[in-house]
Amino acid sequence: MAHQAHSYHMVDPSPWPIFGAATALLTTSGLTMWFHHNSMQLLMLGLTSMILVMVQWWRDVVRESTFQGHHTPTVQKGLRYGMILFITSEAFFFLGFFWAFFHSSLVPTPELGGQWPPTGIKPLNPLEVPLLNTAILLASGVTVTWAHHSITEGNRKQAIQALTMTILLGFYFTALQAMEYYEAPFSIADGVYGSTFFVATGFHGLHVIIGSSFLSICLLRLIKYHFTSNHHFGFEAAAWYWHFVDIIWLFLYMTIYWWGS
Amino acid sequence: FHLLFQSLRQLSQRTISTASRRQFENRVPEKQKLFQEDNGIPVYLKGGLMDALLYRVTMGLAVFG
Repeated sequence: MAHQAHSYHMVDPSPWPIFGAATALLTTSGLTMWFHHNSMQLLMLGLTSMILVMVQWWRDVVRESTFQGHHTPTVQKGLRYGMILFITSEAFFFLGFFWAFFHSSLVPTPELGGQWPPTGIKPLNPLEVPLLNTAILLASGVTVTWAHHSITEGNRKQAIQALTMTILLGFYFTALQAMEYYEAPFSIADGVYGSTFFVATGFHGLHVIIGSSFLSICLLRLIKYHFTSNHHFGFEAAAWYWHFVDIIWLFLYMTIYWWGS
Repeated sequence: FHLLFQSLRQLSQRTISTASRRQFENRVPEKQKLFQEDNGIPVYLKGGLMDALLYRVTMGLAVFG
């Protein structure tokens, strides 16, 4: 049996990258069909196949690391860089939407009544549910840090408790936002106010759901003894992502909800 | 909130029966043995029959979609 003379991971050939690309094509085509031709089948097919690929790809990463031991410190360093670069790219993604918001709100056009919020728009009270949501996400930042400390200290029970609380707070945030969306007196079609509000908060909400899913997988892995007290990068990546989601919310709250009301 | 925390604590400290306790034993060494077996199977199929099935379903959807 050949042994490698380096600390990097030469992965087995895998079908997931090319299948992933195919599912991305299906999903984007599906979105087009949904937006313009009132048909959801292609989109559903795209999303289903995308989820299947993601599950199997990440399942394989867990196999390669926890079960096969390929994640040496060198490999882990690369993964850390990767996650940081990814989160940075997401920050730029949101930056675009904040730019759009400030473009329209700093110099409101005559069509909007020369004011922000535009004439006729009744914004949400930032001191009601949005403030609660801020408290929820800040608390979840504390609980995820508590979970991390519990993992490094080898305290299994507390780690499970803290991570569970984090996930529950995430679900609570999503439920409250869903309710706010339903009850809001304005919609995405209400001019540039509606567009900037729902696109920015909508993408944020999607990231909360993604983050909650990532944390849930980590909880499952934590319960199944995958993490050790000094090797648990999957959890750290999820925690970084979660903090990022929290910070984006703080910016959303201060700019769109508070300053923009 | 403190009362909620207390009751949550008590809930998680309740002893569980031996049957369900077996579910929470550390199964990682068994998985390590399975996935480190020198049989030439690539990691995406190494888990067994379910792997191959899932692979074929995914391929069907992605390629023929």
